[in-house]
Amino acid sequence: MGVDGSYPYLLALWLLPLAGAIVCWAFGPQLKRAAGFIGSAVIGISFILTLLSWGAGTQSTGLATGGLGAHQSLGSWLPGFNFGLLLDPLSLLWTCIITGVGFLIHVYSIGYMEGDNAFARFFAYLNFFVFAMLTLVLSDNFIGLLVGWGLVGLASYFLIGFWFFKPSAVAAARKAFVINVAGDVGIMMAIFIIVNAVHSIGFGDAFTFAVGGHFSDATLFVICLCLFIGAAAKSAQIPLHTWLPDAMEGPTPVSALIHAATMVTAGVYLVARCAPLWSAPHNGNAQVLVATIGGLTALVGAILGTGQWDIKRILAYSTMSQIGYMIMGVGVGAYEGGVAHFFTHAFFKAQLFLGSGIIIHALANEQDVRRMGGLMKKLPFAFVAMTTGVIAISGIPFIGSGFFSKDLVIYGALEHGKPWLYALGIVTAGITAYYMCRMLFITFLGAYRGEIDPSDLGIRHPELAGTPHAADAHAHAEHHAGPNWFMTVPVALLILPTILIGWLMFGGENSPWAHFFAHQFPTLSPPLPIPPIGEGMTGLITFALVLAGIGIAYWRYGTAGAQANAVERLRVESVKMPGFLTHAFYFDAALDLLFVRTSNLLGTLFSRFIDPHVIDGAVREAAFSATWLGGLVRSFQTGLLRAYALFLVLGVACFVIYYAVFIGGPH
Amino acid sequence: MDLSAVPIGNYIALSSVIFFIGVTGVLTRRNPLIMLMSIELMFNAANLLFMAFARMWLHNAGHIFAFLVITVAAAEAAIGLAIVVAVFRSAKHVDVDDVALMKG
Repeated sequence: MGVDGSYPYLLALWLLPLAGAIVCWAFGPQLKRAAGFIGSAVIGISFILTLLSWGAGTQSTGLATGGLGAHQSLGSWLPGFNFGLLLDPLSLLWTCIITGVGFLIHVYSIGYMEGDNAFARFFAYLNFFVFAMLTLVLSDNFIGLLVGWGLVGLASYFLIGFWFFKPSAVAAARKAFVINVAGDVGIMMAIFIIVNAVHSIGFGDAFTFAVGGHFSDATLFVICLCLFIGAAAKSAQIPLHTWLPDAMEGPTPVSALIHAATMVTAGVYLVARCAPLWSAPHNGNAQVLVATIGGLTALVGAILGTGQWDIKRILAYSTMSQIGYMIMGVGVGAYEGGVAHFFTHAFFKAQLFLGSGIIIHALANEQDVRRMGGLMKKLPFAFVAMTTGVIAISGIPFIGSGFFSKDLVIYGALEHGKPWLYALGIVTAGITAYYMCRMLFITFLGAYRGEIDPSDLGIRHPELAGTPHAADAHAHAEHHAGPNWFMTVPVALLILPTILIGWLMFGGENSPWAHFFAHQFPTLSPPLPIPPIGEGMTGLITFALVLAGIGIAYWRYGTAGAQANAVERLRVESVKMPGFLTHAFYFDAALDLLFVRTSNLLGTLFSRFIDPHVIDGAVREAAFSATWLGGLVRSFQTGLLRAYALFLVLGVACFVIYYAVFIGGPH
Repeated sequence: MDLSAVPIGNYIALSSVIFFIGVTGVLTRRNPLIMLMSIELMFNAANLLFMAFARMWLHNAGHIFAFLVITVAAAEAAIGLAIVVAVFRSAKHVDVDDVALMKG
């Protein structure tokens, strides 16, 4: 895979963030505020180098297999264990988002994290994350991918637990890390199986092997299953998604960069990268599994999004739901569609998170939407930013980038013969529009509710629900006047792509998107049958449901009447929230029961029974039997000389009898 | 009188009797001196057999072993009497049943 050669830009854009991380980490106390500029600059330079590598990344020898993109060798460890970097259209796309959107988020962080005690540490972690993510997407082999995979998990752990003096943040970080490591183990298992069969860790070798049909069907399915366990853990697919909402404990730029735009889409990258495995003949079950999990995640995330009050948790569930779409897209085989949704999602979700960051920053770390309201006049810029994000994620035709990419996914499901996922996708689109508009209306319309007693709004434990981070080292007093330039400019720059980037995918076969990926993904030898419902019709149905969602949200939260008695409405809704929404479908409880409780039970069994009675017991029994045997032998040692003599005589007698009776006399 | 006319069975019988007298002495008496004497009896029973069989087979090995036994018996008597003296010095008596210091 890839045209071999020497690509200094590729090496530089990969290693620069690592250098930035080391500098920010080692010289943090000396650099102080300059760490932010250095951290942002290295990512900016990486982005420029990525653009300069565009030609190398998209070059193609025109052959059916291999010869796409740039391949830089790094070295060999053992025969078959060759390490290198690969920049082909797929990794180029990811690299652009990681460095491009990453750069904007770095700049935003300079404003957002201003005054934090650990300003330099934050940028060291962010740069380290970018390096890890680039390692993940640029590796040309499974082991490099796994290294990057583990390192982004580590960076995520560092950044969720960035405010380590908050117990909730530490708990969330630990949870995210543990679930992610469970996924890492899945990928490791897949690598073991692949190396055992192929004797190589390279993507190209494994894919050639799979395309040639050398894997048995069962082996291929197990490989795909193991890979998908990793993808599901990283990309927050049910039932391994529970860490993502908790991960919102981290600073908002972290939520934007890691837990929305880039890291959580690594699972999508993995499935898209391993497309030849999934699309290999007789591997339909793996595709159905992945696509179904993706579709269900999209639906579950959207439903849970309707019942949240924390603005970042609403966005977290929407992230989960949107990644569900992407996984569904790459799962059914519509790789271009799934990747397209990643691309647009990176922009609009970064936009939404950064917009919510402006609100949170302005309201002294208030995150509960019930205590917001009427912010349209207070924070007009945030309103514009959030509205564009909502338009994009809801998929308003032509002015929301999400429309085009989501359409590719939904229609792709129908094209690839998965009508139930098609229906699921359309319904989810309607729910998405509803909960995003709900958030928008509650936050920006009506009157400001920050001065109202939290219990009147139905907030039972204000110190838990609202998370006013009283203990934060985050100084916010001087920011109440409004956002500063470091925060507004990146958000402003994101507005245009949030609205327009979807046009890249317009035009079917002739779109720039299709051209970009022309040689990337496996082509189906018999072309797919034309589905009974056309693409335009699909867009119309989706749009009708989206309009219905927006309408219901407007009717419930947007009308003048609803705004007038908003306080009472919100209180009633909080109190009457159904249990499955407040408990997030009991996933946490189920996982707790399934893994934590069983582990505890097993531990108790071992500590109470197996260890004291079997293991210690064996040792004790050995000691006891030695004592008993010693006692037995000791009883012969009477100390009486005549007793010893008697034993001697008896012994001799025994010999004599033996010889006399059994051996007999001389022959 | 020709000694070779005495059958070997008689020697064995006499030797056995002497030996068991020795054994009985060792097992029943509590005075170490008597016990040493009894052991001496057993040695001599063995010696008598050695002599008898040497005579019977006309072979000198029996004589050699008899000398060996006499040597061992002398050494044994020396050590045994030394122990008896040592025990008597510390315990002021020589009853073997009362000197059960090695009881486990």
